[in-house]
Amino acid sequence: MIEPLISLTLRDPRRIFQPGDELECEFQIDAVPAEEIQAIEASVLWYTEGKGDEDLAVHYFERRVPNDAENGDLRPLRRFRTPLPNSPLSYDGAIVKIRWCVRVRLFLRRGKEVFYEQTFQLGAVPAPVVAPEPPAAESDVSADSEPSAM
Amino acid sequence: MARLFRLWEKKRGVRRTGSKLLGSVGEALFFAALFVLGAISLAAVITSQFVREAPDELRFSGWALWLLILVLGSFLLIGGGGVIYTVLHVGASAERRSALVKRAGNIELLSATSFSPKDYPNVPRDTNQTDSPGITLAYRLPIAQSPLWKLIAAAVFSLVWNAISSVLLVVAIESHVLGNPEWFLTIFVVPFVTVGAWAIYYFVKQVAVHAGIGPTSVEVSDHPLRPGDRYSIFVSQAGRLSVKRLELLLVCEEEATYHQGTDLRTEVRRVHESRVFCREDFEINPGIPFEHECDLRMPENVMHSFQSHYNRVQWKLVVKGEADGWPTYERSFPVVVYPAACSNGRP
Repeated sequence: MIEPLISLTLRDPRRIFQPGDELECEFQIDAVPAEEIQAIEASVLWYTEGKGDEDLAVHYFERRVPNDAENGDLRPLRRFRTPLPNSPLSYDGAIVKIRWCVRVRLFLRRGKEVFYEQTFQLGAVPAPVVAPEPPAAESDVSADSEPSAM
Repeated sequence: MARLFRLWEKKRGVRRTGSKLLGSVGEALFFAALFVLGAISLAAVITSQFVREAPDELRFSGWALWLLILVLGSFLLIGGGGVIYTVLHVGASAERRSALVKRAGNIELLSATSFSPKDYPNVPRDTNQTDSPGITLAYRLPIAQSPLWKLIAAAVFSLVWNAISSVLLVVAIESHVLGNPEWFLTIFVVPFVTVGAWAIYYFVKQVAVHAGIGPTSVEVSDHPLRPGDRYSIFVSQAGRLSVKRLELLLVCEEEATYHQGTDLRTEVRRVHESRVFCREDFEINPGIPFEHECDLRMPENVMHSFQSHYNRVQWKLVVKGEADGWPTYERSFPVVVYPAACSNGRP
C-alpha cells in the first residue's frame, strides 16, 4: 500500500513568529481512499528535546472524523489559524530544548497512524553560551558591576 | 503468527518491535484480571463475616481481616485504575491527551491552582516571591532551601547511623573481651564507624555554619523580572564573620529529569552566570549586619523561566560567601523571569 501524503503549509514562509502573531496553516491529504481515513488531528504544540524525558503541550487542537466533513471526505484542503501564546518561547539550550511545530496526524483503518509536522520558531531567544567559572575579583573594594552573560 | 504474538519483545528507543495495540490489550487484560480477582476475593471475605454457613477458611478476625481487606482493596484499585488508564491511552495520540489535560486546566477552579499564570503557560507563578514584603525594597525573596533542613537531616542521619554503629561496636568489642572474637563483625564494623564519624563531623559543621553564619536576605525592587530591565537589589548578611569575599551572582540553570532504567535522574547545567556585586575583606559584627544595595540589569535576549514535568529553566540570585574559619557557603534565592516585551507591544 502506498503511504498517504500529507501536505502541510505554513502561510508565513519566514517561520519565525512572535507571541501574539497569528499562525495560519493549511493541510491536505492525498494518495489514500477517503474511506480509509478514520480521523485527522491537527495541532499546534511544543515539545522538549535534550537530556530530559520529553514534555509536550498542545496550544491548538482539532480532531475531525468523517461525520464532520462534507460527504465524509477528510482529504480536501483545510485551513486553520490560531494566535500564538506568550510562552514558552523556542529555546535551544544546553540540555533543554523547546521546539514548536504544527503536526497533522492521520488515523487509518487497522490502527495505522501517519503524521507529518512543520517546525517553526516562537520568539528570538538565542542559544546560551555555557558559563565558565566566574572571573576572580578585580579589587578589594565594593564593585557594583554590570552583569554579563558568560 | 510470530508477527502477531511474541512472548518477549525488544524495546528500541521509543519504538517497539511488536504491535502497540496488542500490547495495550494485554495490559488491559492484566489489570482487568487483577480487578476481578480483587473484587471477588474482597466480596467473599466481607460476605463470609456475616454468613454463618461460610467455611472457616474464610473467617478472619482482628488485624488479619483488616490486612486482607487492605491487600484486596489495593488489587481492586490498581486493577480498576490500570484498566481506565490503558483504555484512555488506546487510540489517543499524545496531542489529544495533552489537549484533554489543557481543557481540564481551563476549568476556572483548576486554573487557579495551576503552577503557571494563564497568560504565560509554563512560566512558574511568582506567588512565593511576592508574598513577603521587604524592609528596604518591595519584595523579600524566599531562600531556595532553608539551611535548617540540612541541619535536621544531618542530625537525624547522624543519630540513627551512630546508634546502629554503637550497638555493633559494643557487640564486637564484647566478643574480643570474652575471648571469642567475631572477626567478620569486627571488619564489618570498621567502615560503619567511619561513616558514623563522618556523619558527626558533617553535623557539627552544619551546626557551625547555621550558628556562625547568620541569616542572609535578598530584596528586589520589582518582580517578576524581565530581560533588559533594571532592578534594585538589597543584600543583607548577618553573623559574626571575618569575610574574605561576599558576592551576589545572577544564575540561570537548566534542569532535565530523565528515566535511566528504573531510576529517575536529574541533571542541572548552569548556562548563565554573571556577578552583580562583590565585596572583599571586611568584618560583620553581631547585631550590625552587612547591608548593600546595588543595581541589577537583566541581560537581554535570554530565556524566560520555564517549568514542565521533566524540564525546567530556573533563574536565581545566589549569595556566595567565603569567611575565615568557615566553609564556603552558597544561598540561593529563586526569581521568575518573564519573556521580554516584544517590539509589537506584546506580551
